[in-house]
Amino acid sequence: MKICWSWLKEEVNFKIDNMEHVVERLTETGSEVESIEKPVPLLKGVVTAKVKSIKGHPDNPNLLVVKLDTGKGEATCVTAAKNLRAEDVVPYAPPGATVADGTVMAAREFDGIVSEGMMLSADEIGLPDIADEFGILRLSESEKPGKDIRPILGLDDYVLDISITPNRGDLLSVRGLAQEVAAILDVSINELRPNKGFSDSGPSTSDMEKEFKGITLQDEGCSLYALGFADNVKIGPSPVKERVRLSLLGMRPINNIVDATNLVMLYLGQPLHAFDYDLLPEKEITVRSAREGEKIVTLDGKERSLIPDDLVIASGGIPVALAGVMGGENTEINDSTKRIALESANFDSVRVSKTYRRLGLPSEAAYRFARKVDPAKVTIALSKTFEYLVKWKAARPLGQVMERSGEEQPRYVELTRKNLKKVLLLEDMDLASTILRRLGFIETTKEEDRRVFQVPSFRADVSIEEDLIEEVGRVWGYDKMESRLPAVTRKPGDITKRMRTERQLRNIAMGRGYAEAITYSFISPDLLKTLRIPEDSPLANCVTLSNPLSKEQSIMRTSLAFGLLKAAAANIRNGWRSPIRMFEIGKVFSLEDGTELGVKENLHIGGIVCLGKDSRFVWKEQVDDFFSVKADIMALTEAKGVLLEFVKGEYPFGHKGQSAHILNNGKVIGYLCRLKPKIAEELSLPQPVLLFELDLEVLERSKGVSFGKTNKYPAVYRDISILIDKGMPVEKVKVDVKDLASQYVRSVRLFDVYEGKGLPEGKRSVAFTLEYRSEEVTLRDEEVDKAHMGLREALQQKGYVLR
Amino acid sequence: MNDKVISREKWGVAVVIDIERKTAEIKDLFFTELKKAKGPEDLEEIRVRFLGKKGNITSLLKSIKNIDPSERPKAGQLLNQLKEEIELAIRQKREALLEAFYQKEEEEDAIDVTLPPRGRKWGGFHPVAQVMEEVVEIFASMGFTVAYGPEIENDFYNFEALNIPPHHPARDMQDTFYTTNGLLLRTHTSPVEVRAMRQMGAPLRIVVPGKVYRRDNDPTHSPMFHQLEGLLIDEDISVADLKGCMEAFANIIFERSLKVRYRASYFPFTEPSLEMDVECVACSGKNPECRICKGTGWLEIAGMGMTHPNVLRAGGIDPQKYNGFAWGMGLDRIAMLKYGLDDLRVFFEGDLAFLIGGRQE
Ligand SMILES: [Zn+2]
Repeated sequence: MKICWSWLKEEVNFKIDNMEHVVERLTETGSEVESIEKPVPLLKGVVTAKVKSIKGHPDNPNLLVVKLDTGKGEATCVTAAKNLRAEDVVPYAPPGATVADGTVMAAREFDGIVSEGMMLSADEIGLPDIADEFGILRLSESEKPGKDIRPILGLDDYVLDISITPNRGDLLSVRGLAQEVAAILDVSINELRPNKGFSDSGPSTSDMEKEFKGITLQDEGCSLYALGFADNVKIGPSPVKERVRLSLLGMRPINNIVDATNLVMLYLGQPLHAFDYDLLPEKEITVRSAREGEKIVTLDGKERSLIPDDLVIASGGIPVALAGVMGGENTEINDSTKRIALESANFDSVRVSKTYRRLGLPSEAAYRFARKVDPAKVTIALSKTFEYLVKWKAARPLGQVMERSGEEQPRYVELTRKNLKKVLLLEDMDLASTILRRLGFIETTKEEDRRVFQVPSFRADVSIEEDLIEEVGRVWGYDKMESRLPAVTRKPGDITKRMRTERQLRNIAMGRGYAEAITYSFISPDLLKTLRIPEDSPLANCVTLSNPLSKEQSIMRTSLAFGLLKAAAANIRNGWRSPIRMFEIGKVFSLEDGTELGVKENLHIGGIVCLGKDSRFVWKEQVDDFFSVKADIMALTEAKGVLLEFVKGEYPFGHKGQSAHILNNGKVIGYLCRLKPKIAEELSLPQPVLLFELDLEVLERSKGVSFGKTNKYPAVYRDISILIDKGMPVEKVKVDVKDLASQYVRSVRLFDVYEGKGLPEGKRSVAFTLEYRSEEVTLRDEEVDKAHMGLREALQQKGYVLR
Repeated sequence: MNDKVISREKWGVAVVIDIERKTAEIKDLFFTELKKAKGPEDLEEIRVRFLGKKGNITSLLKSIKNIDPSERPKAGQLLNQLKEEIELAIRQKREALLEAFYQKEEEEDAIDVTLPPRGRKWGGFHPVAQVMEEVVEIFASMGFTVAYGPEIENDFYNFEALNIPPHHPARDMQDTFYTTNGLLLRTHTSPVEVRAMRQMGAPLRIVVPGKVYRRDNDPTHSPMFHQLEGLLIDEDISVADLKGCMEAFANIIFERSLKVRYRASYFPFTEPSLEMDVECVACSGKNPECRICKGTGWLEIAGMGMTHPNVLRAGGIDPQKYNGFAWGMGLDRIAMLKYGLDDLRVFFEGDLAFLIGGRQE
């Protein structure tokens, strides 16, 4: 909400005129002043000048030579503008003056005639919107020449941009802000005096009123509807100073009628709409719900299809305006308008909200109605508008008619000492009462520990005691209140298992060289294609956004792999050459029936590893591969005491021969795979690219690591070497060895895998070392030999070939 | 000399031997030889020569029987002294040589300690995740327990239960992402407030860290960011308690005592509502050109207020008996302030140049 400092000053009787203090208080009390701007700050040295004579340029038919009375003498200006006549008063920038864009004027020759500076258009003054015609801006003829243009246009001012919270619709006006400022500074405000002549809705006298058949408030949504009539309308621009004010406050001047309604809206917060009375299909107004599919062309020239949620102003069965949102083109004020009907009404905030949101029409009027407009302003707004029209000689006001549906009941709210003290640690009921009364609340009951206040009609946001306490608190100032720490008396705080788990995993992953990433939860559906996710895959079971910012971010991720891969590819594209190791902890989402919301959210840890474009390293040993990543994964889970099993698996984006399911207690909780080389190539990623992902649920629930016992008796070690088929998983052999080994075998450790020269085709040799140890005695060599022999025989019986 | 003694013995002649002179001579000779020794072999050779079965000293000891008996104890003493002296010298020399040997070997095995480390370097944390952990720990120390809730929410928990009915203008403040199955991405962590109230009842102290989503994207906003919600419900709670918690938090996270100020504000789910600013951590309000605070000297840290009775009711808590406060703060912003970062958009790109580039060689 923009407001001119000068306008505020017209309303508030400041004791000390100190804008900074006002700005500070407004910000403290909830209306943050976001910016303060001086209008067209560069414009300097421009003065008024009177046109004395206009002659054609002797050598250039497109130019005119204008003689000006500058107040200090005569000046010659050459111009191409054609809109001037003698006696016009214009803004004149003599040599040395600065125009809005910072250009400093100098004398300049045009085909042999020197122009001493120039006359300015609205554009050159820095306010293109105030132009009412093409050419030089013409000021009132009553202005004397030689005067600084800035005060004349009202530019020696400040425009404050104030952020008004949605509950304070009453502050969306000069008058509302003035009231607020007066209250928070404890000063007075000028009385709002509507012009008597126009405010009476007495007996109908004028032709227009007689002719008008009436207002019907048919459906819910309009509590009060007034129409003001005027004839003798002379459409033209409004005075230049008013145009400047409108323009500074972000509204484009249109014509005197519309500008008057807009100025009143800015002043009082009451939106108004002007109909061309003669264009109303019938001389009647009905406020009703739109019919399904009913059409209206709004002032912006767009045809809108309506639904019964929308409230329309209809005349003769035809919609002529969308209530509180925008007028209709069919009854728009135009250059030949002779009679007008001015609408000032109070529309329901919800109905207006629904319509403007659905149609995407956040007009100034709709914005205000959505935040609730003071019903007491309806008639004052009409008379204020008429005041402008009379002053500008734009129309002759005739009178008004009004219809209401139900009476607004006054609201009373109680304030107790007990609650005031509880929330604000404040016991001074008189101070509270003083503050509330300054804000316009009327004290209707005054007891020692309890007061009752009538809420002013413009404060639709106040209805419970907490609201009153807030009013007291914000004006009194929260900074004045002490700070104290609430005692921990009931139970200690806890970061809980989940966060402890996350913290542990993060630290392990970082310690093992992974950089922590956070990527967007929404991804591009193209990534599903890139990663070869089939449509029936659980990974394609995505939650889809209905209003994404872009297709790139339109579905929710079902795996962390998407974001990590995208990030890795972007890193390579951006010239990252070192190895890539990244991990992320975050949620993945998929549709699932039977859950509370039909969506399952799982917390995952995922990682990506690839060599980088330049994997040369002074220490040759550094290699990341499937098995180094496997070690990383096991480090993550072993720290939580969770044991994993890796079995060969297949993933849509995984290398056919280098993908594994990760199991815990027989349940798949994640995967480790090498990215399909073809996908890696498509993404220009250096290979191999390894991806892993784990669901954190098991880790969160785990009881933690367990410990061993010290060894009392020495161990004896025996190796065993077995020839197996190439396709047989070592883990399976190891399980067999363990199963068949004697009770003394404490551990079986694989120490060699060999294939190639000296072995039959399709075979490989695996070698284990077995630790024989008893917890009761020192084993003798013969005992171990016997046990080991037994194992060898058992393995052979099972079909293994020993070497 | 040695030969002479022995030859006289052969003749059976009792010889008067000047033991003192003899030992002095042997000693001189020994140390001259020892000085020349360069390794363990040399030492062994010297040892044999002087202390061996046929060595100088051994022969001299044998010859003692030939001298005047009255002189014998003194001679014996002298010779034994010499013998011990020589043994000690050889031992010391051996140690010295060994020491020199290792010394040399170590010098030969010198490495360039400035070479880069082998193996993987520390990876690195994400500033937001790190700050999230730290902030939660601070509040845990004040008795708050972590609570979580879904990121894909329904309208009820995200809006209605928080006193934001449909078409409430506050919905304009938060541009919402909707899903095709009628849900939405939570626009704040506040929905967890009502969920927690319903699950755990009052009294209650929770903090809710997590991702939230809003439909805007510009240099200072990201469509996804992180919030930390806090909620305390108990009997007799004041704005003063809220201020105390927030100030304690600010002073710990920024590691110094900061000036704070409070501004009235509006949130549908709190009444009264306020916002807390802390003095600019970059310029303390001393730099009118400061980019961090835009010259205001203040940084918005959190929105907060006393929980609205309607919200308590939605959570199944009796507002007559209990009241409380809640706050919400942007963790991304706190991370930016804490680590002096100025571009929010690089946070979620997984850009290694940002994440670890500052620590690369
Ligand atoms: Zn600063």
